[in-house]
Amino acid sequence: MIATLEAIDESAALEQLHELGCTDGLPVIIPTTARVERMVLATLLDGDLVLGEMGPGMGVATIEKVAVAAVMAGCLPDYMPIVLAAVKAVINPAFDLTEMQSTTHCTAPLVIVNGPARTSCGPVASGFGALGPGHRANASIGRALRLTMINIGGAQPGSSDMALLGHPGKFTYCLAEDEEHSPFPPLHRSLGFSANDSVVTVIGAEAPHSVLYSGNADDPENVEKLLSQLAVGLANFATNNAILTGGAAVVVLNPEHADIFSQANMNREEVQQKLWQLTHKPVSQLEQVGGAFGGGRKPGGDYKTFNKPEDILILTAGGSGLYSMVMPSWCAGKHKNSAVSVVVETDQFCEIPL
Amino acid sequence: MPSVALVTEDYWPQGDFVAKSLGMPDAPRVKLPHPVAGTGEANLTRIAEQVVEDIVSKLKGSGEL
Repeated sequence: MIATLEAIDESAALEQLHELGCTDGLPVIIPTTARVERMVLATLLDGDLVLGEMGPGMGVATIEKVAVAAVMAGCLPDYMPIVLAAVKAVINPAFDLTEMQSTTHCTAPLVIVNGPARTSCGPVASGFGALGPGHRANASIGRALRLTMINIGGAQPGSSDMALLGHPGKFTYCLAEDEEHSPFPPLHRSLGFSANDSVVTVIGAEAPHSVLYSGNADDPENVEKLLSQLAVGLANFATNNAILTGGAAVVVLNPEHADIFSQANMNREEVQQKLWQLTHKPVSQLEQVGGAFGGGRKPGGDYKTFNKPEDILILTAGGSGLYSMVMPSWCAGKHKNSAVSVVVETDQFCEIPL
Repeated sequence: MPSVALVTEDYWPQGDFVAKSLGMPDAPRVKLPHPVAGTGEANLTRIAEQVVEDIVSKLKGSGEL
């Protein structure tokens, strides 16, 4: 059981939480004992069950502490399986949470949801404005993860979270894949999971960069032009991906752009391969703009910004239109900012009536 | 192996936080002005001359944090 605070009313409790640095700066739902117990109950797990440590503060994440964050974020109990999977993902050593929380880069955990949990534990939006306001599950699941990173991981701006500016995705950064409008198998299938699995994939990522492409079915170079635009966004010379290299990144195709690949009979792997090739860059240009990171390569020729094509995650989401999104990444830490996927455990959860 | 962390003043609170969270609150550190990176070789040499004795002292296990 974790320690509790006392306040004369919810307004005073909120001010206390703000003063203690326990919030993200926005008002939170006060995590009263009853509310937290209800959230824990939904998991059918022991509140003291330990999930792992969260750096850089090395606080111990338990079911109860995660439930506290979920309550504060405004989650429904139904969302808990996704929240827990997201926390498990960032705790995985391959995520390099301590380094990711401490870096000066703006990176924030992007939570991608696939499989039946998109609806059974949500709905988690995947269409118009999926990364914007108005979708409770998207807003509160990503926020719950952030609040665990603050209150269990100890991230405080300027003393342990050293992001020079951060980005708005550090409040919440969560969406589902629009599997129904994707020409490709769901992302989690490509990552080796089964179709019936629900999976959360988390990757530390920059804010989304909009990629404009006005498709033209009569243009024989339609596909090549779209690929070229995406590659520019993914690894332009202002990104860590182009300078530090070796990390991962995300491409979110809107259904209209995804259909251009479908019309060209390209599958996900072929798109990844093309983007990987298009993001090879001249060593001479890296030497020119890379500063302290620009040297040490064999002069002449090209270098790879991504080690392998599958480091470019591709999913379909958003409304249909001109704009897709790319999310470059930090590309550092022991594991070079890799994505981590965790199965959402939905079997053992119980429905809690409102 | 004796070691000492060189931390610029803007990142000194982070050094404190990490040292404490890892159970090494007394981990030897030497404070540098901020910024250091990209300020040129002459400035780096000047800073090095200012802190070299402190670094050696901490590597020998003496001196204040």
